[in-house]
Amino acid sequence: MAGAARGAEPSSTNIKEGPAVISVRFHGRGGQGAKTASRILGTAAFSEGFTAQDSPIYGAERRGAPVSAFTRIAKGPIRERGIIICPSLVVVADASLIGDPAARVIEGIDERTAVFVNSPLTGEQLHTRISLPGRLTTLDLTEVAVRELGKRSALSALLGAVAGRLVGLRSESIDHAVAQELADLGVDASIIQRNQTAARHCYEAVSLVPVETSVHRGPGPTPLRVPAYEPPTRGTARITAGPNSAIRSVSGWRTYRPVLRPDLCNGCWLCFANCPEGAITIKPDGKPAVYYPHCKGCLDCVEVCPTDAMTVERETDVTNK
Amino acid sequence: MVWEPRIFKDLHQIPRVEHVFPGTPLCAGCGGLESLRLAAKILGNRVVYVNAAGCFTNLASFPFTPLDASWLYTTMGSAPAGAQGVRDALDVLIAKGRLPKEEDVTVVVLGGDGSTYDMALSSTSGAITRHLDFYYFCYDNEAYGNTGVQLSPATPYGARTTTSPCAVLHPVGAMQEKKDIFEIWRAHNPPYIATVSPRFPLDLEEKFTRAAAYQGPKLFLGFAACPTGWLFDPAYTPDVARLAVECGFWPLKEAINGMVTHTYVPKLSPVENYLKLQGRFRHLFEPTLQKEAIAHIQGSVNAYWERVNLAERTG
Repeated sequence: MAGAARGAEPSSTNIKEGPAVISVRFHGRGGQGAKTASRILGTAAFSEGFTAQDSPIYGAERRGAPVSAFTRIAKGPIRERGIIICPSLVVVADASLIGDPAARVIEGIDERTAVFVNSPLTGEQLHTRISLPGRLTTLDLTEVAVRELGKRSALSALLGAVAGRLVGLRSESIDHAVAQELADLGVDASIIQRNQTAARHCYEAVSLVPVETSVHRGPGPTPLRVPAYEPPTRGTARITAGPNSAIRSVSGWRTYRPVLRPDLCNGCWLCFANCPEGAITIKPDGKPAVYYPHCKGCLDCVEVCPTDAMTVERETDVTNK
Repeated sequence: MVWEPRIFKDLHQIPRVEHVFPGTPLCAGCGGLESLRLAAKILGNRVVYVNAAGCFTNLASFPFTPLDASWLYTTMGSAPAGAQGVRDALDVLIAKGRLPKEEDVTVVVLGGDGSTYDMALSSTSGAITRHLDFYYFCYDNEAYGNTGVQLSPATPYGARTTTSPCAVLHPVGAMQEKKDIFEIWRAHNPPYIATVSPRFPLDLEEKFTRAAAYQGPKLFLGFAACPTGWLFDPAYTPDVARLAVECGFWPLKEAINGMVTHTYVPKLSPVENYLKLQGRFRHLFEPTLQKEAIAHIQGSVNAYWERVNLAERTG
């Protein structure tokens, strides 16, 4: 549902009377269901009688591109519009986004912000690897999606359920919202049921952290400054310097990584010919090697390998290498 | 007559040198990028790519570029016109002696199917008619992909796009037939046209090598299996590309001075195998099996190959 509307009589949660708004920001990669998760949360809140508002934002339509979506929940009317700068809760579908400045995951997070990260690590383990000031909680949703739904990117219902639990919505309303939103997308009834089961599991499994309402915690106005002159040689990026995209790592795109078993490789070069990225190079001995910073994890090489020498391993680290 | 490759007979002949580098923000498993990467191995780096707006806009997202060649960005409708300008400028500079002849570069247009089949059709037609010496590479993912997968004239019958959904009034999705751009190009009589598929890398490399011998427009139609728009897991890009050829849906052929030769004779497996792999055709199989629609697709594939066989028998 889009826009703001008033539902039935509200239930008791940590959503307070008055102008206080719970604002939830979802971060995912295109195809992971961040947008649908924001809709599920909004619909669930609406069915419990709250005012709700949800909207997504994305650039070019691509799998793997950072996507954000926003849900606001309140008892009274919601006056705020647009993107959420200072969220009460941030839901991260893909831990590798945290380090990507373009995804703006850490924007507006302070020590009072609740942060959920889809990760096999615990909140404490995560704290030691990345510096996030908020209250961290984690759950391995990808594992649940793979096990229950057979699809690594089918996270929308699970993200919606976790967010619903953290803001204090009822399990039944999540159930109902999952059915409604997935049916709107034309998802088959049997798959919706499996999504509901998986969502219920995540609703129960996620460990709670307090979520606070936020009235307005935006930064104050920034004083205007006249920028100092920079000569174009300093101020402009050098784009005449050849294929510089290779300095970027796309490791964060992977859910799985292809791993070569050299003993099984017959050196046919099919993987080298079929890698869309050019992440597979040929070593002097004629055998292929995957250069992981350039591998997006599409697994085309695994699919074409005639001797099953390319195997699949699940990525588990927060920061893929 | 059976077509035989002259050079590329073994995968180990594929050049190891890369001219399209990693790190682009294009989708994982992009069939178009794979074709371009293979093509660039033959085209080399003395190239100016004239890129029509489309998915390949994401190739060079400032300040990054995956190319060790030059890149010029144009609107969707004007890439061949841009190529004409670049070619003319090079010719003038060489004629005036301001650019040594050995520093000449190849001009290559990159366009998606939205550009190629639709918006840039008149511009391409003009360029071929003027016998412009350039390459045209179309990555055909059968929809306006970069803007969110809308119907394009390249979308085949029965495919679901965001603007041709499976709905009560049109349960098959797209009801149009895919525009035959190959024949439209061929009617202009350019020296070289070919269709290529990334799952047939040797065929692709062979065709780009052969095309280099011809002066004038050299046009390529690349099958760009699209995980994002066609709704399949990126891992299946090679399977979708292979089955499209094997079921006869995407014929591999070339036309030299108008003479068409099929470079691969498929076994013509049932089209269901190809359709079933992709979410954009799922509505043809469930919740109700749309037998007529599938038979229609099979029928047009069969009709195509009957015409081909007849033409080859009668010479």
